[in-house]
Amino acid sequence: MQARTFDAAGGTEKDPPAAVRMVGVTKRFGAVVACNRVDFSLQRGRIHGLLGENGAGKSTLMKILIGLVTPDAGEIYVHGERRIILDPVEAATLGLGMVHQHFSLVDALSVWENVALGEPGRLDPRAVRARVGEISDHFGLDIDPYATVGDLPAALQQRVEIIKCLRRDPSVLIFDEPTSVLTPEESWQLFDSLRRVVTDEGRAVALVSHKLDEVLQATDTATIMRQGAVVERLVTAETDAAELARAMVGRPVALRSDGALRAAPRSGQRPIEHDEPVLTIEAAAVRVGEQRELDGLDLEVFAGEIVGVAGVEGNGQSALVDVLSSLTRLHSGAVRVNGRAVPTGKSGAMAEAGIAVIPADRHDSGIVLQMTVAENLLLVHPEQVSAKGLLDPGMMSEHAQRLIDEYEIQCEGPDSPMWSLSGGNQQRVVLARELSSRPLALIAAQPTRGLDVGAIEYTTGQIRRAASNGVGVLLVSSELEEILDLSDRIVVLSQGRTAGAMARDDVDMERLGLLMGGHHA
Amino acid sequence: MGGFVEALGDILTSESSYVSAVSFAAFLAFGAVGEWVAERAGTLNISIEGMLLAGAFAAAMGFDLTSSLLVSLLFGIGAALMVASVQAQMSHRLQADQFVVGLALNILVLGLAGFLDGELDPATRRAPTVTIPLLSDIPLVGRALFDQSWLLYLIYPLIPACWWLVYRTRWGLEARSVGENPQSADASGIHVNRRRRQAIYVAGITCGAGGTYLCLAVVGSFEDSIVGGRGFISIAAVIFGGWTLRGSIAGCVLFGTVVSFRLSLPALGYQINNQIVTSAPFLLTIAGMALFAKRVRAPDALSRPFVRGIR
Repeated sequence: MQARTFDAAGGTEKDPPAAVRMVGVTKRFGAVVACNRVDFSLQRGRIHGLLGENGAGKSTLMKILIGLVTPDAGEIYVHGERRIILDPVEAATLGLGMVHQHFSLVDALSVWENVALGEPGRLDPRAVRARVGEISDHFGLDIDPYATVGDLPAALQQRVEIIKCLRRDPSVLIFDEPTSVLTPEESWQLFDSLRRVVTDEGRAVALVSHKLDEVLQATDTATIMRQGAVVERLVTAETDAAELARAMVGRPVALRSDGALRAAPRSGQRPIEHDEPVLTIEAAAVRVGEQRELDGLDLEVFAGEIVGVAGVEGNGQSALVDVLSSLTRLHSGAVRVNGRAVPTGKSGAMAEAGIAVIPADRHDSGIVLQMTVAENLLLVHPEQVSAKGLLDPGMMSEHAQRLIDEYEIQCEGPDSPMWSLSGGNQQRVVLARELSSRPLALIAAQPTRGLDVGAIEYTTGQIRRAASNGVGVLLVSSELEEILDLSDRIVVLSQGRTAGAMARDDVDMERLGLLMGGHHA
Repeated sequence: MGGFVEALGDILTSESSYVSAVSFAAFLAFGAVGEWVAERAGTLNISIEGMLLAGAFAAAMGFDLTSSLLVSLLFGIGAALMVASVQAQMSHRLQADQFVVGLALNILVLGLAGFLDGELDPATRRAPTVTIPLLSDIPLVGRALFDQSWLLYLIYPLIPACWWLVYRTRWGLEARSVGENPQSADASGIHVNRRRRQAIYVAGITCGAGGTYLCLAVVGSFEDSIVGGRGFISIAAVIFGGWTLRGSIAGCVLFGTVVSFRLSLPALGYQINNQIVTSAPFLLTIAGMALFAKRVRAPDALSRPFVRGIR
C-alpha cells in the first residue's frame, strides 16, 4: 500500500520515467526469502538511500538490479523500458554501474588493468590509462594508473572501484555500503564527489547503507527494508534518526549516543570484584621486523569488569588481540590467567587457559563459512561434544540446537552451512561458541563492526551479560562511543603501551583525547 | 667428484647431448606453456599427462592413415582437445573436483591408448628433418635447435604467442583475473568458468602439438609409456618457474637437460643410476620451492572452484 502512495508521490506517470523501477521483485535462497515482492525506484539527479539491517535484502536487491543474482519473480524497468538483466555486462550496457562493498578488484593486477576488466572489445592499454586520467581529473579522484591494486590502502582501492564504474559513464550508480572501509573524513570526501556526480550530470544514485547518519546526511529520499520487504519510503529531509532506526528494526532502539549517556551510572550499580585479576599482561613486547607493535604493555582485567581499550587504530590493538588469540608470540613479557602464565603463540593455549575471543574479522578468523553451524559452534572446544577423540553426532546437534535457541540464531538448523547466515547471525554463532565455553576472560575485538543497529544492541547486551556473570571482558574497539558505552574502566593504548587509564565514572574527554593523541596527561 | 666434472665437460662439448637435451626440453615446454595458461586462469590441470599421451597416440593414428605430418598434428590436437574438454566441462561446468577428474583422465587415457595401440598398431616412422640454413651451422647447439623436424619449430612461436595471449590481450587479462580473484572477475562481468574452460583448451592445443612432436619427431613410434610421467614434470616446471612464463621455460630447459643425462651419459660411456636422474626434476622443484617459496606467488584462486554467490 505504501508502494502505491510513493509511486503517486514520485509521479512515475506524469514526469519522465524513473531511471530505474523494480516492481514485485522476489528472490528466495532455499527457505529464506531474501526479497519479497519489493518495489523500488531511483530518480535521476537524486541520491536515494536503501537502508536496512544486515540480511534485510538490500544487497540482494541491488545484485538483482546489476545482474549478479537472477530474481524468481518481478519486473525491472530501466528508463521506462522493461528489461531482463542477465549479467553485469548487460547491466553496464543499460547504464547501470555498481561500486561493490567487497571490492570487485583483483589485487594482483594494476589500476588500469582493473579498470579495463569486464570491458568488451580489444585491449588498448594506452586508451584505458588516458581514460583513467580523464576521470580522475574530472571527479577529483587522484590515482596512479600503474600502481598495483593490492598495495593500495582501502580508500584508494575504493577510488579505483569508482573510476572503474564511472568509466562506463553510467546513468545509474549503486554504492553498496561504501563507507564501511573509510574513515569519517574519507566518507565526507566520497559524499562530496557523489553529490557532484548527481547534480552536475543528472545521474541517479542508490546508496545502500545501514548507517543512519549516512542516510540522513547524504541522501534525498530513502527506502527502508526489513526481512526482505520494503517497510517504508520517505523523504530524508522530513525524517530523523529515531524514525529511521524504528523503521529499520521494527521497534524503538536505544541509539548509541543515548546508550553512552545511560551507561554512565551503570558501573556503580554492579559490584566489581577487585581481589585478583583474571587476566594479566606484563611488559608485553611484540616486534615485527623493526616495528614495535607492542612495547612493554601492562594490563589487568578483573573478573566481572569490562575494560575498554581505546586508542587510534594501529597503536598495538591488533597485536594485543593476536597475542591473546595465540596467533602471535611475545618477544618478552608474559600473559597470566588467574595468576598462571600461559605460553604465547602456541595454538589453542589461550583458549585452553580460558580466554574466549570475538575476533575483529569474522570471516577471516571467527568462523569457517563452508562448514555447518553445528561444526562452527564446536570448533574451539570440540571436547564438549566428543569422547575419546570421537565426535558424538547426537551430542553435537543437541549442543548446537541448544545454542541456536539460547542465542536466537536464525538459520534453517544445525546443519545449515555458515555462509547461508546473515552477518548478524554469523556473529551470534561466534558469541554463542565463545560464551558457552564458560571463559574466564572474553576478548571482544571490534565486536560490532559491520553490524546493524539491532545486532549491535544484541552483541553489546551479551557482552554486558557475560561481565555480570563474572567474566573479565577486554573490549578493543576503534569506536570511542562503544567503549564509553560499555566499559567500567578505560585504558588508552599509544605506540604499543598503555598511555593512561581511567574509571568510566571519571572520564575526562579532554584527557582521553590527549592520551589517544599520544600526549601524556 | 673429478669424474663428475669430467662427465660434465664431455656433455658440454658433445653435440649429441645437446640434441637430446633440446628434444627433452622442447617436449616439456609444449606441456608447460599450456599448463601455464591453465594455471594462470586458476586450474591446476594435472590431466596434462593424459593430453600429451592422447595427442601422441592420435598423431600416430593420423600418420598411419594419411602419412601426412600436418594431418597427424591436427589429429593430435583434436585428441588432446577431447581430453581437455572433458576436464574443462567436468571441473568448470559441473564443478567436479579438478584433481579427481585429472587423475581419472590420466588413467583412462593410459588404458585406452594401450588398448587401442594393441588393437590398431599404427605404423609410423620418424619425421624427416628440416635444416634451417646458417642457424644450423652454429657450433654445438646449431644441429640441436635448427636441424630438426618442423614439429620442433612449433615451440618457438608458441612460447611468445602464449605470452602475448596472457599479457597483451583482453582474454588474457580476464583469464588472469579469473585465476586471481574469480568473485571480483564475476562482479566485473566476466564469465569465470568459461574463461577457465578456454584456458584448459589452450593447454589441450599445446599438448596435442607436444604429443605429436614426441611421437613423430623424437621417438618415431607409439608406445603407451611414451610420455612416462613427463606431463607431471611440465607441471613441476610451471611451479618451479613461479608461475611466470620465463621461469617455466627455464624450468623446462633445466629439467630437460637433467633428464637427458639418462641418454647422453651412457652414450659417452658413463655409468649412472636411472632412478636418480628420473627423480632429479622433482628434487630440483622441491629445492627450488624451498629456496624461492617466499618470493613466488601462485595465482590466488589456483585450484579453487568457482561457484557464484559464495565469498
